[in-house]
Amino acid sequence: MAETALNDTRAPLGITELRAGNWRLALLVAVIVMTVSIIALPGEISFWVSLAAVLFVGLSIVINAWGNSPGPLLVAPALALLVVMNIFPLMWSFGLSFFKFRVNRLAPPKFTGLSNYEKILTDPTVWDRLQTTAIVVVLTVTTQMVVGFLLALLFEREFPLRRVLLMLVLTPMMLSFVAVGAFFRFYYEPTFGLLSQAVRVFTGEVFILQATPAGAMAGIVIADAWMWSPFVMLLVVAGLVSVPKYLYEAAEIDRASWWRKFRTITFPYIRSLLLLALLFRTIEAFKLFDIVFLITDGGPGTSTETIAVYVYRLGFQAFRTSQASALSYILLFVVIVLTNLYLYFARQRDAQV
Amino acid sequence: MRHLSISVQLLGTAAVIAVLGVASAPVLAQEEVTLRIAVPDWPPTRIMKQLADEFYVAPSGKKVTLEPDFIPWPNFQDRLSASLTSGEQRYNMAVSDSQWLGQFVEGGYYKKLNDIIDADPELQAIFADLNPNLVDAYSTYPYKSDNFYGFPQMPDVLISYYRSDIFCDEGEAAAFEGEYGYALPCTPEDFGNSDWEMMRDFGEFFQRSAGEMLAGEELTDDFFGIAYQAGKGYDFSTMQINGFLWQNGAGIWDETNQPNAQTLGVVNSPDAVTAFEKYLSLLEYMPPVVKTGGMDIFKIDELFREGKVGWIMQWIGFAESAITPDISRVADTVAFARAPGTRKADGSLDRTANIGGQPFVLTTWNDEETEREAIDFVKWWLSKETQIRFAQAGGQSGLQSVYTSPEYGTYRPWNDAFGPSLDWQRDVWHVPEFMELLTQQQEEFDKAITGQVTAKEALDAIAVFQDELLRESDRIQ
Amino acid sequence: MAWRKRREIGKAGWGWTGFAGIISFIYFFPVLWIILTAFKSNADVLSVPPKFLFTPTLENFVSVFRRSYIPGQAAVDTGFDLFFFNSIYIAGTSVALALVIGTLAAYGFSRYPLRGNDTYMFIILTTRMLPPIIVIIPIFLMFRLAGLSGTYTGIIALYTAFNLPFTIWMMKSFFDELAPDIEDAGRLDGSSERRVFFKICLPQVRAGLAATAVFGLILTWNEFLFALLLTGIDTRTIPVAMAQTIGGDIGVRWGLLAAIETLFLIPVIVVVFALQKHLLRGVTFGTIKR
Repeated sequence: MAETALNDTRAPLGITELRAGNWRLALLVAVIVMTVSIIALPGEISFWVSLAAVLFVGLSIVINAWGNSPGPLLVAPALALLVVMNIFPLMWSFGLSFFKFRVNRLAPPKFTGLSNYEKILTDPTVWDRLQTTAIVVVLTVTTQMVVGFLLALLFEREFPLRRVLLMLVLTPMMLSFVAVGAFFRFYYEPTFGLLSQAVRVFTGEVFILQATPAGAMAGIVIADAWMWSPFVMLLVVAGLVSVPKYLYEAAEIDRASWWRKFRTITFPYIRSLLLLALLFRTIEAFKLFDIVFLITDGGPGTSTETIAVYVYRLGFQAFRTSQASALSYILLFVVIVLTNLYLYFARQRDAQV
Repeated sequence: MRHLSISVQLLGTAAVIAVLGVASAPVLAQEEVTLRIAVPDWPPTRIMKQLADEFYVAPSGKKVTLEPDFIPWPNFQDRLSASLTSGEQRYNMAVSDSQWLGQFVEGGYYKKLNDIIDADPELQAIFADLNPNLVDAYSTYPYKSDNFYGFPQMPDVLISYYRSDIFCDEGEAAAFEGEYGYALPCTPEDFGNSDWEMMRDFGEFFQRSAGEMLAGEELTDDFFGIAYQAGKGYDFSTMQINGFLWQNGAGIWDETNQPNAQTLGVVNSPDAVTAFEKYLSLLEYMPPVVKTGGMDIFKIDELFREGKVGWIMQWIGFAESAITPDISRVADTVAFARAPGTRKADGSLDRTANIGGQPFVLTTWNDEETEREAIDFVKWWLSKETQIRFAQAGGQSGLQSVYTSPEYGTYRPWNDAFGPSLDWQRDVWHVPEFMELLTQQQEEFDKAITGQVTAKEALDAIAVFQDELLRESDRIQ
Repeated sequence: MAWRKRREIGKAGWGWTGFAGIISFIYFFPVLWIILTAFKSNADVLSVPPKFLFTPTLENFVSVFRRSYIPGQAAVDTGFDLFFFNSIYIAGTSVALALVIGTLAAYGFSRYPLRGNDTYMFIILTTRMLPPIIVIIPIFLMFRLAGLSGTYTGIIALYTAFNLPFTIWMMKSFFDELAPDIEDAGRLDGSSERRVFFKICLPQVRAGLAATAVFGLILTWNEFLFALLLTGIDTRTIPVAMAQTIGGDIGVRWGLLAAIETLFLIPVIVVVFALQKHLLRGVTFGTIKR
C-alpha cells in the first residue's frame, strides 16, 4: 500500500514556524482573514481580500514544494482549482447564511447571526418537505436496491450477447434529465400516455396515475429508480463476481438449499457493496430535483415537493437568499453525515477483502 | 453584492477605456453598438430579431445590432434572475413577465423610465396611443402607479379557440337546441357572446366516449367539450381563476391600496368562494389530465391540436400553432372568438380577464450611449410601421391606432378577438413578493383542483399566508 | 489487479440470453419509445392508441439542424451543429483536464501523503456532493469579475472542477492498489521520480483512466443547470438546446426532443460501450476494489 511506499524525507515544519514556505500557517492565516473580512467588511472589499488570501496560500504551497517533496506541488493545481471554483463559492454562501439579505432588495446584507438557521429549523414547511424527501428517499432507494439486485442476478454470468444487453440496461443512466422528465410525464399522462393506454386495454378506462399524492409519488419513484437501478446493478455484479467459486462447489456437496447458499455465501460478499450502493443512492436521492420538478412540480398540492425543490423555491423564486443558504448548509450537514457513513462502510469493505 | 457591482462597473469601465485607448487608435468609420437583450425563445422575439436585422436603422447613424439571448421558455425566469441578481450585468435590456417588475425593480435592476419619457415627446405620444390597460400592466410598479418601467413587447390575452366543425354541425346544433333550449353558437360573433353557464352546457353536451358519434363521425377516442388552465406549474391556474374572481365581484389582494388593502376576508370572501367553486365545477367536463394538476397551457394546446377537445381558453400567442397543418389536426376547422364572460343582471357580459404577454425593460447599468440607442430602438419597435409588420408576421400590437384599424383583423384569423379583449384586461400583483404569493397560491389551487381540499379551505389558506407574508414586508398594516 | 487472482465468472447459454433479452427489452422500452418517437411524423407522435408500426421519417432529424422559428417562414440553421460541437468540446476538454490535474493530485495524495491527507480527501469529496444550486450566485459573480461568463474557458474551468473530486478519488484508489515492488525496482535502477510516474505507474492505471473518463463524460455530458446559466449563445450545449423544444408557442415538440436526445445519446453510448468493462470502477468513486 501507499503508506509503506512512502519515502518522505522532509523535515516536518512546525505550524507556528514563520517561513514563506509554511503553507499550513498561511492557510490558517488566510482562513481567519477571509472569515473576518467576509463578516466585517462590505462585499466589494472582502471579495478581493479573500482572493488575495487564496493566492497567498497558493504561493506559499509552491514555495514550500520547490525545495521539498513533490507532493504539495502535485496536489496544488487541483486544490487551487477546487478552492476557486468550489470552496470559495461555498464559503461565500456560508457567510451569507448569517446575514439578512435578499438579492432582489437594495438593502445591504445585515448581520443577524443564527436567525436564519433558527427560522429554517422552526419552519413547519421545511419539516414537511424533509418528511416528503425521506419518503421519496426510502421508496426510490429500496426500489433501486431490489431492481438493481435482480438485474445483477441476470448479468452476473457470462452469456452470448451479454455486453449488448448490458448496454440496453445501462442506457437510462445516460439520458438527460430534460428528456427523462418530459417523456415520463408523457408516459403517465392519461389521454396520450402509454401507461394509461396499456391499462385501458384491460379495463376500458383511462388510468390517471398522478391524480393522487400516492400515485404522483409512485411516478417519481418509478422514473428515478428506472434511471439509477443500473448503478446498483453494476455494484452488485461486482460483488457477485467476487464470490470464490469453490465456496459454491463446497456448498453443492453439502446439498445446501438455494436460500442457505445465498445467506451464508453470497450475501456476506455483497453485503458491504449493497451498503455502499444504498448510501450512494441515498445521498443522490436526497438531492433529487430535476425529476420531481419536471414530472409533478411538487404536486398535487405540495405532496411530492422535496427539500431540494424547496431550496430552489426559497432561493430563486422567493429570493430569500440568505435563508436558502442557511437551509443549504443544514442539508450539507446531512450530506456530510451520510458521506461519513459511506466512507466508513467503504473502508470496512476494504478491510474485509 | 450591489456594492460590488458598482466598484466592478468602475473597474470595468476603466479597463475598457484602457483597452480602447490602445486598440482603437484608428477611428472607426461607423460606431457600433450592440444591444444585448435577454428574451424567451418563441416566435414574437424571433420576429423582433428578424425585423430589427432587416429594417432597423438607428437615427444616431450608428450601427446598432440587437443581440437577443434566446433562452428556453421553461428556464427563462431562472436564467434572467440569476443573471440580474448576480450582478453579472450582461444584458442591456430584457423581456420580462409583467409580474416580475417589482422583484427586479426593488433589486435595482430595472431602469425607471419616467425622466426619459418626460423628456421625450415621441415616447409620450407612444404612451398616449397605447391601450391604458397595457400601460398599467406592462409599465407600472407599483401596479397602476405613475412609475414607468417597461414597454409592451408582445401583448397577449386569453381568447376562445373552438372547433367550427362540431359547433357548426347541423345535427349537433339541432340536438343541442332540443336539449338546452337555445342555439349552439357557430360564428365568432355568436361564440364570443357565450357565458360560463353556456360553457358548462357545451362541456356536458360534447363529452363523448370512444365509439360514440360526434358531428357525424364515430369517435376513436374519448372527446371532451371544454378545457382551460388548471395546472400546478408557474401561473397555470391563477391566470384563469383570477378572471373568475373578478367577474364575480371578488378580488385579489389590491396592491394599489397599500397598506390598507387586506387579504383576510377579501381573498377568501364569500364571492371569491362562489367564483372559485364555479371554476372548479367546470373541471369535470375536461380531459382527465385535469385531475393531476397537469392541465397547463402546453397540455391544453396539445389536446386541442390533437382534436381531443371542442373549446379551449388559451393565450393568443398559441394560435399560430393551432392553424399550422403540419402540427395541428384541427388546422382547417379551428375558429377564434372572444373569451366567455359572466352574465350580469342586465344581460351584458363581464369579461374581465388576466392579461398575459411581456413588456421589455432597460437595465440600470447601461451607459448613456447604450441607453439612448435602447430607447431609440424601443421607439422604432413601437412605431406604427414596425407594429404593423409585427402583427402581419403573427405578433400583436398594443397601439390603439394599429389594432383598431380595419385591416388589423385581416392579418391573422384571431386578430378580431384581440382588440376588444384589451379593454377587459387586468394584471395580477407586481410586488416583489410576486413569486412567493404565486407559488403558494398555485399549490393551494392545485389541492382544490385535485380534490384534496374544498374551494373555501384553499382560499382560506391563501388569505392567511398572504396576510402573514405581506405583513412581514409591511405591505399590510 | 493483476497480482490478485481474478475470480471466475459463471457461464450460461443462449437460453439465458433469451431470458435476459426479454427483461432488458422491457427495461429499455422507455428509451426505445423515445428513439421511435424521433422517427415519427407529427401526426403519429401522439396518436391514440400508440403506434408501433408507422412510416419512419427523418424530418425530425432534419429539423434538429434546420427549422423555422417563425411559423410560415423558411427554415433556418438552428446552430445545432455548433451546440453539438460545444458539448463535445466542453465535455471532452474538461474531462481531459480533470484527468490530468486529478491524476497528478491523486498520485500526490497516494505517494506523498500530506498531514491530514484523509481530511483533504474528505473535503474534496464533499464539494462534489452538494446541491449545486447553493453556489450559483457566487460563481456568477466570479465569472463576471473574470469576464468568463459565456466563454468556453469559464464553463470548462467549472466542469473541470466539477469532475476533479471524482477523478482524484478514483485515481487515488488505483494508485493505492499498485504493487510498490515494481516502483521500488525502478528506483533502484536509477529512474527519476518523473520516470517512475510516467513509465511505471501510469501504464498500470490505464483502465482507471478510461473508467474515470467515461463517468466524467456521462456526468458532464448531461449537466444542465450550469450550462443554462453560464453559457452564451455561442457556447450553448445540447441539454440547453433540448429545453428549447419545450414551451413557447407550442407544448412540447416531441419528435424534435426525441431526435435531439437520440443524436445526443450516440456519442456517449459509443464511448461507454467501448469502455464497458471499466465501468464498475467508475460508479463508486474508486472506493471499491476487486
